[in-house]
Amino acid sequence: MSTQSTPILSVLTEDLLIRVNEKLVQDSDRKIWRLICKEFHRVDSITRKTLRVLHVEFLLTLLKNYTNLHTLDLSVCPCIEDGTITLLLHRVDHSMWARNLKFLNLSRANGLKFSGLEMLVGACKGLESVDVSYCCGFGDREAAAISGCGGLKELRMDKCLGVSDVGLAKIVVGCGRLERLSLKWCMEISYLGVELLCKKCLELKFLDVSYLKVTSDWLRSIAALSKLEDLAMVGCSLVNDVGLQFLENGCPLLQKIDVSRCDCVSSSGLTALIRGHNGLLQIDAGHAISEFSGNFVECMQELKNLNAIIIDGARVSDTIFQTISSNCKSLIEIGLSKCTGGHQYGNYAADSCRNLLRLKLESCNMVTEKSLGHLGLHCALLEELDLTDCFGVNDRGLERLSRCSKLLCLKLGLCTNISDTGLFYIASNCSQLHELDLYRCTGIGDDGLAALSSGCKKLRKLNLSYCFEVTDKGMKSLGYLEELSDLELRALDKITGAGLAALVTRCKRLAYLDLKYCERVDDTGFWALAYYSRNLRQINLSYCSITDMALCMLMGNLTRLQDADLVQLTNVTVQGI
Amino acid sequence: MEPNDRLSLDAWANPSSSCNGLPRKMSLENPSFTNFNLQQQEQKWDDTSILNYGIRIEPPFLEFNQASESEYLLSSTCNNQPKVLDQEDGLNNEALQTSKSLDWDPRTMLNNLSFLEQKIHHLQDLVHLIVGRKGQALGGHDQLVTQQQQLITADLTSIIVQLISTAGSLLPSVKHKLSTGPPNGQLGEFLFPPLAGMNCVPQPQHGSGSKAVQPLQHGSGSKAVQPQCVTGSKVSDQCNQMDVTGSFGTEQNLSIEEHEMKEEEDADEGENLPPGSYDILQLEKEEILAPHTHFCTICGKGFKRDANLRMHMRGHGDEYKTPAALAKPNKESSLEPVIIKRYSCPFAGCKRNKDHKKFQPLKTILCVKNHYKRTHCDKSYICSRCNTKKFSVMADLKTHEKHCGKDKWLCSCGTTFSRKDKLFGHIALFQGHTPAIPLEETKGPSLSCDKMDGNEASNKSGNINFSFGSNAGGGAQNIIEVKEDADDPASYFSPLSFDTCNFGGFHEFPRPTFDDSESSFSFLEAP
Repeated sequence: MSTQSTPILSVLTEDLLIRVNEKLVQDSDRKIWRLICKEFHRVDSITRKTLRVLHVEFLLTLLKNYTNLHTLDLSVCPCIEDGTITLLLHRVDHSMWARNLKFLNLSRANGLKFSGLEMLVGACKGLESVDVSYCCGFGDREAAAISGCGGLKELRMDKCLGVSDVGLAKIVVGCGRLERLSLKWCMEISYLGVELLCKKCLELKFLDVSYLKVTSDWLRSIAALSKLEDLAMVGCSLVNDVGLQFLENGCPLLQKIDVSRCDCVSSSGLTALIRGHNGLLQIDAGHAISEFSGNFVECMQELKNLNAIIIDGARVSDTIFQTISSNCKSLIEIGLSKCTGGHQYGNYAADSCRNLLRLKLESCNMVTEKSLGHLGLHCALLEELDLTDCFGVNDRGLERLSRCSKLLCLKLGLCTNISDTGLFYIASNCSQLHELDLYRCTGIGDDGLAALSSGCKKLRKLNLSYCFEVTDKGMKSLGYLEELSDLELRALDKITGAGLAALVTRCKRLAYLDLKYCERVDDTGFWALAYYSRNLRQINLSYCSITDMALCMLMGNLTRLQDADLVQLTNVTVQGI
Repeated sequence: MEPNDRLSLDAWANPSSSCNGLPRKMSLENPSFTNFNLQQQEQKWDDTSILNYGIRIEPPFLEFNQASESEYLLSSTCNNQPKVLDQEDGLNNEALQTSKSLDWDPRTMLNNLSFLEQKIHHLQDLVHLIVGRKGQALGGHDQLVTQQQQLITADLTSIIVQLISTAGSLLPSVKHKLSTGPPNGQLGEFLFPPLAGMNCVPQPQHGSGSKAVQPLQHGSGSKAVQPQCVTGSKVSDQCNQMDVTGSFGTEQNLSIEEHEMKEEEDADEGENLPPGSYDILQLEKEEILAPHTHFCTICGKGFKRDANLRMHMRGHGDEYKTPAALAKPNKESSLEPVIIKRYSCPFAGCKRNKDHKKFQPLKTILCVKNHYKRTHCDKSYICSRCNTKKFSVMADLKTHEKHCGKDKWLCSCGTTFSRKDKLFGHIALFQGHTPAIPLEETKGPSLSCDKMDGNEASNKSGNINFSFGSNAGGGAQNIIEVKEDADDPASYFSPLSFDTCNFGGFHEFPRPTFDDSESSFSFLEAP
């Protein structure tokens, strides 16, 4: 720890250290850096731009240390409230931390009301982006407070159920330079608000109106937004082809359109839209269009720059898909989940789209080891692959697929034909993997998990539900996955308290744990859980044999817990609750 | 009297031929009427075009014609409707019937009538004079011609007014303040029968309009006082009316534009009748404001509607129960080609006045009434709920009262709207206006600051016992600071404030001191 004795520090000046520090991307690396010595720690605190606070208790200290923050993420501190803000602004010299703040994430901060927001907005003059998603208490008053940010460019208000047109109008008038706005699930917003938005916020580039009562009138207004690049309207069942025709002649810069789950949209409406916008990069029409007309395919060929096409749930013949994939060479994302009518999607995708990053082939029965071989051979860049419910996937297929060494996310749920052998290939080659779904892969056992824990050290999300073969041994090997944060162990009736304890003593980052139907896990496991898993946010203990005592301990200790499912706990009495 | 009128009509039907100057002394001979004349001029002064000028002169003149024609009409329809009488007959008839009832003085009536006679004689002379000079050269002064024309028209108007007021004084229900009003509905209507072709024909003028007008204005200043004295002594009624019309021009100019919007409701904007294809009728102010326009000739009771009067008349005898008596009057006239009637507002300068450049006629008498009340009258009905909104038409007040208090959409500028879309339209229109959020719950930050809980305070001790690892020095200081805080700041960071899991007793569960090397910054995550 002593700085003078280390020769390296006499060579490296502060600015050099800062440069080195900037090269560190991974969180874990930065953590190691911080812990080397005080000098390094100081450098880190100077340069650190982003802070995601997990425990609100430390907020005060942290804000004192890190004064150059650009981004403050409080999304996992839901208990933040007006008083906290008062304190932060008065105790900590607010000009230090609030001065440079540009991005603020207040997602799920239900306790924060307009007075707190007002203070916050008043202190952080430079705010450009605010996220207040899932703040159930966020209403018009709070919107009025936010509207004090004249320079705001991005605002996410997903599921702010209390915001009505009045609140939106406040924001629209106050933040005229808004570029990105999400109104997803803001159910109170009506045409009037959006019309006003389209009249006043002409800089808008991204607009999300998913799940709202979007009608053709809305789209007529939206079409007037000359700078709009990205429009998302998922699940808008009132949108029809007439509405899309308004977009044909409007929004000249449109690049991304998401009409997934819009039931009334047909391929003719989408054709009109595409005709008006040759520069489209992304089309998401999942579960919206069932059949493709010849016109549509013709139009698609014009989209040379298309990056992503998602047509989940459609009936796509091999020839149609071949035409699309061979013309749109730059595709990096293809969604064909639950598509019917074709046999060789994988082949065509692999053959023509060499840069493919994401491919979704959920429930495509015709995926065989041959298609996976094509993928492994041609799509070396593949990062995300969804093969859920493709029973054609087997160990040989996984072996061929494992050539895609950059895979980050692999979903193999319901692929009952794979075993530990297949998992071994994946684990040994895809070291970057951080999400793996093995839901109901009944062939997977402890050996596969052992391979996984040694090969895929970066794994964060793992779903092992209904993999009945997994025992305590597997749990123990999982303990080596230190980054693991989401783990589903539903219905693993072979694991016991000892297994759980072995897991939680090492996986300190666990935030989500599903133990439903793990009936053999006893109180020793839960005690360990209560003792070690401080970061747990969500837990499902339904149908577990937890007792009053252990439950009380869990609830008392897991201070960050936000959501607990406690259905059918037979050993818990009324007193325990 | 009739031949004279005819004569004058003929004379004025082609005024270009009769334009030789009327001696100026003629106008001085009739000083009592220049007053009216001048006031008219004042009101219409801004009109400079010849066309407008021509029209301007006409109205009183027309009225005269109408009056004379109405008499014919009246007498011709006498058979069917015995109660609808010639004007003069009516006077006598009613005089007999109502002599006992109210303060009607036969002698003043006689005075009035003799005065009228005198006036008509005057006029007769005047017109004779004009006819006599008809054939002569046109080179005379334009001013004189116009002055002369106006003199005559003013004369005629005043005669009509006089007649009406005399007739009106007979009726019991009409009070003194309305003495100039034409209480008899039929009379009022007959005063303005169709007179096609006359109203919009511009009279040929020599020289520009402005030239023609100016001298008159000069004259007005000098003679304005004089005539009032004369007429005042003779016929107070007439004088009254003139004063009123005169004052309107100056007083209510402002209110015209204010009401322009509202009145559009009554008017049919889409209607584009070419000028001249319809007849313009102009009721006088008193007529418009009269509460009842149909009066029973037997008992004097007033009615708003003619039909109601006819229903009422049944009670006065069997002769009123015949189908003919109950039938709508003037039914037979509908057999002839229907002449479209449109109405003009008597208020000079009003857009609804036929002299206005962009004259827009009013469709029905009801429109006239509503328009006149809304635009040119005081708003005497005040909403009892908000005590701010005022109306001159009762129906408007009632409509307002239905919605009063429902203006819940408020703009930051203070304007209220009953409808959300109106508010949003307003906001879209103006820069910086935002919808105002009503203050239902005021929850200041200080409130939540103060609500300190003993329970939370006790929890605090558990929370702040974390050691701060490598940052030990600073951490220790923090703890001290925190403890010293009187406000108990740490309670805001209390993890136990999580509602569902506030197991107060369990924070004593042995906590592991955080391992310095491992977990002191485990609460930090990379972007």
